[in-house]
Amino acid sequence: MGNKKTKLHYYPGCTLKEKTTNLDDTTYAVMDLLGYELIEPENWTCCGAEFPLTEEKIVGLAAPVRILRQVKLEGGNKVFTVCSFCFNVLKRANEAMVTDPLKHKRINAFLKDDITIDRVTGDKTTGFPEYNGDVSVLHLLEFIRDEVGYEKIRALIKRDLGKVKVVPYYGCRLLRPKGKIGIDKPDDPSIFEEFLENIGCEVIDFPFKQECCGSYLSLSMPDAASEASYNVLRSAKLNGADVLALSCPLCYYNLDRRQDRIKEKFPEFHEMPVLFFTQLLAWALGVDEEILGLDQHFCDPRSVLGIDKSGVEI
Amino acid sequence: MNSHGKKKRIGVFVCHCGVNIAAMVDVKRVAEEMGAYPGVAFSTDYIYMCSDPGQQVILDKVIEEKLDAVIVACCSPTLHEITFQNAAKLAGLSPFQVEIANIREQVSWVHTDREEATLKAIRIVRSLVEKIRYNKNLEPIEVDVTRRAMVIGAGISGIQAALDIADQGYEVLLVEKEASIGGHMIQLSETFPTLDCSQCIMTPKMVEVSRHPNIKLMTYHEVESISGFVGNFTVRIKKKPRYVDEVACTMCGDCEVVCPEIVPDDFNLGLSYRKAIYLPFPQAIPGTYTLDIDSCLGLWPIRCSACKDACEVNAIDFDQKEEIIEEKVGAITVCTGYDLYSMKSLGEFGGEKYEDVVDGLEFERILSASGPTGGEVRRPSDGKVPKSIVFIQCCGSRDPENHKSYCSRICCMYTAKHAMLYKHHVPDGQATVFYIDVRTGGKRFEEFYQRTVEEGNVLYLRGKVSKVYQEGDKIIVHGSDTLTGRKVEMEADMVVLAMAMEKKEGTEELLRKLNISADTDGWLAEAHPKLKPVESINVGFYLAGCANGPKDIPDAVAQASAAAAKVGTLFAQEKLQHDPAIVPVNEELCSGCEICVNVCPYDARELDSEKGIVIVNEVLCEGCGACAAACPSGAAQKRNQTDNQIFSMLSAILKK
Repeated sequence: MGNKKTKLHYYPGCTLKEKTTNLDDTTYAVMDLLGYELIEPENWTCCGAEFPLTEEKIVGLAAPVRILRQVKLEGGNKVFTVCSFCFNVLKRANEAMVTDPLKHKRINAFLKDDITIDRVTGDKTTGFPEYNGDVSVLHLLEFIRDEVGYEKIRALIKRDLGKVKVVPYYGCRLLRPKGKIGIDKPDDPSIFEEFLENIGCEVIDFPFKQECCGSYLSLSMPDAASEASYNVLRSAKLNGADVLALSCPLCYYNLDRRQDRIKEKFPEFHEMPVLFFTQLLAWALGVDEEILGLDQHFCDPRSVLGIDKSGVEI
Repeated sequence: MNSHGKKKRIGVFVCHCGVNIAAMVDVKRVAEEMGAYPGVAFSTDYIYMCSDPGQQVILDKVIEEKLDAVIVACCSPTLHEITFQNAAKLAGLSPFQVEIANIREQVSWVHTDREEATLKAIRIVRSLVEKIRYNKNLEPIEVDVTRRAMVIGAGISGIQAALDIADQGYEVLLVEKEASIGGHMIQLSETFPTLDCSQCIMTPKMVEVSRHPNIKLMTYHEVESISGFVGNFTVRIKKKPRYVDEVACTMCGDCEVVCPEIVPDDFNLGLSYRKAIYLPFPQAIPGTYTLDIDSCLGLWPIRCSACKDACEVNAIDFDQKEEIIEEKVGAITVCTGYDLYSMKSLGEFGGEKYEDVVDGLEFERILSASGPTGGEVRRPSDGKVPKSIVFIQCCGSRDPENHKSYCSRICCMYTAKHAMLYKHHVPDGQATVFYIDVRTGGKRFEEFYQRTVEEGNVLYLRGKVSKVYQEGDKIIVHGSDTLTGRKVEMEADMVVLAMAMEKKEGTEELLRKLNISADTDGWLAEAHPKLKPVESINVGFYLAGCANGPKDIPDAVAQASAAAAKVGTLFAQEKLQHDPAIVPVNEELCSGCEICVNVCPYDARELDSEKGIVIVNEVLCEGCGACAAACPSGAAQKRNQTDNQIFSMLSAILKK
């Protein structure tokens, strides 16, 4: 492999620059090792976090479509994300631009008059071209399966994860709604399992892999969220897992950062480490421990990766 | 021209069909304008042409006006063409001198502008005047009929059809690909709504079939190919080697004892084991062991031969080979049955993952006195008696987005039966049924269901299940109760999935061999959903049982008897009459290019290599005209619908 990296658009989303920099850092680290130079679309904003379901309320589509249009303007034809929420919103907004002529018309009419101000000269430009949904939106799991290939991953592996028993946790946003997301079958998915197997984990099946983590209820009904998260982690433990792997920052918040709240409500609860899939991949590919950002976790995952308290690999 | 070489005198009769036609078409004007059209000698209108007085009008006017041909402008020819042909026949006309101008389905029912509709009606009638000018009188084609039937599939439908045909005095070949006859019904425990033991009512029929002098039983046989046409089929049937001489085998079972190879027993759906040499079930017919060559340690290169050595009557013959048998039959009844939709397709219910999640047929075996648990309800994983069972209906049925759009019809009733029988076996057990609707549209079905709910004390929950998974030795069921709007989570020792019925595996291949069609769900298609429910669209083929769609035992038996009666009707005819409006070959024009041979969907055309031209099997030709459209030289022209006639019709329609 030469030094020439393939340029690839990457949309991190806001959480990755704030609360879960470990997800962002490990994404950069693994993509570099896989031979990609990541480009973040200029002036990217929040994706909107939720795909607007009200038929009339289309302004929620302005942000994701603007991001996708920017990728297009920069000459990209695909963009990948690692956050399940961003992936869900971008993918569905993109799909709406292809399949819903009315939304397409209204959003383009709205975005046409965007004004860009040149940071240096202060010149204003406007009159943007139409966006027609022609950038493909991919989740990194999908990109690895379809474009990088598991074979290449296996060839690059530096650390053996053989002893780690991992449950894949899909949550809701990676798979649903059915037919709109298309990363895998919502009722019987296997893409996460395949990924984990190929990076050398021992994959444990568990029935709560597509169950809700509690999502935003952690703000409005914290007890309900605690119960949902508890059910997921309890089932993972019951099925013999050492660690739960996921791709969503909100799931991570509910399943890891709120474990103290879960314990308050369910005293018998046992802590369980939670890792982003990119952290597991980074570790397998030989990335240094500091980049993994393990100190950001509530439940310390070091032991499951074979690192002792002082940071030495066992 | 008429038979005397004069110009044809054509009569036009315009029907009002009450207001069905008259409200949108000015029938008086149609009759008037047609009266002035060249070649039309007489034209009139009448309120109901198909009524007795209406037919009398046609009869009288043909005689009075010396008409040579008659056009009736009325409803679709599928409805009353025969009525008017018969009326014309009484007046001495050939039925080929009657044409129907459809001005109801194609005009009055589909248009909203009376003026335009009337003009269109006139154009249609005009075009038929042009066609009928050149219609020739044709004689029906007559063929012999082989009074011998083949029935494919020997479940309850095939058995009933075979018996009913045989009892009419005709010989029947009953072909079954499995080692024994009996189908799915012999696997069932008890049958709803009477709870009589399935084996007890099935085995007498099986014995009757095996003893019937008119039935030739061909088990472990498969249909290879079929050629020919109604009344005259030639079938090639593959006889699979059983490696055991059926006649010599005394069913002593010595071979089974010594056989070292143990495999899942497919009769018990893998809930128990059998040997590689086996008897499918005690009452199997024919009563003979069969060597399952796929599981056998191998006839070659290392012969185990333990069974052969043990057999005292030397019934085991490793040298048996596959054979092809050719037979002639006149009618074919297809009774190939169904499969259950695989639990694999519903990953969220864990049917393939957890041993104690079983499908309906597996639970039948668990309930059966001859089943793997000897008639006691025990769960597969650890043999414990389940203290609670959750039954889930509509697993894959009525779910057009994800699975099958249709209702599988039997699941509501068999689930009620399962729940009731479970309560008979385990009176202190809890049975819960998740349902969408309970459909009990059969004789005494509703009463049976009510008894299950009330006497059986079975809990019926209206709602769908979202997830089934195992935790410890319990199965956890998540679902919703849509009557209270609450989420339901319950523990059970066992879960039974009422999986949808689906077309039998291998149906497509069989359809190709038989050249008959299926509907969008893969069930064999009947010729008419209401009026021809047991005939295939392809003449000479009949359907019965679940091959045609989900149905219960009484319906399957009724359909089988109906199919048998239809076979009898066919065989009762001295000669078969075939519509002569076929597409012959003009030998002068045909170049033998064979384009028509390839487009013919009925295999009616082939190249006569000696003459270098195509010849037509008049009986196979259905007159669809595909060849006529494809023929580059005009050698293929349909009788009474020649190119000349079609062009005349077109110009009559297009003319102002």
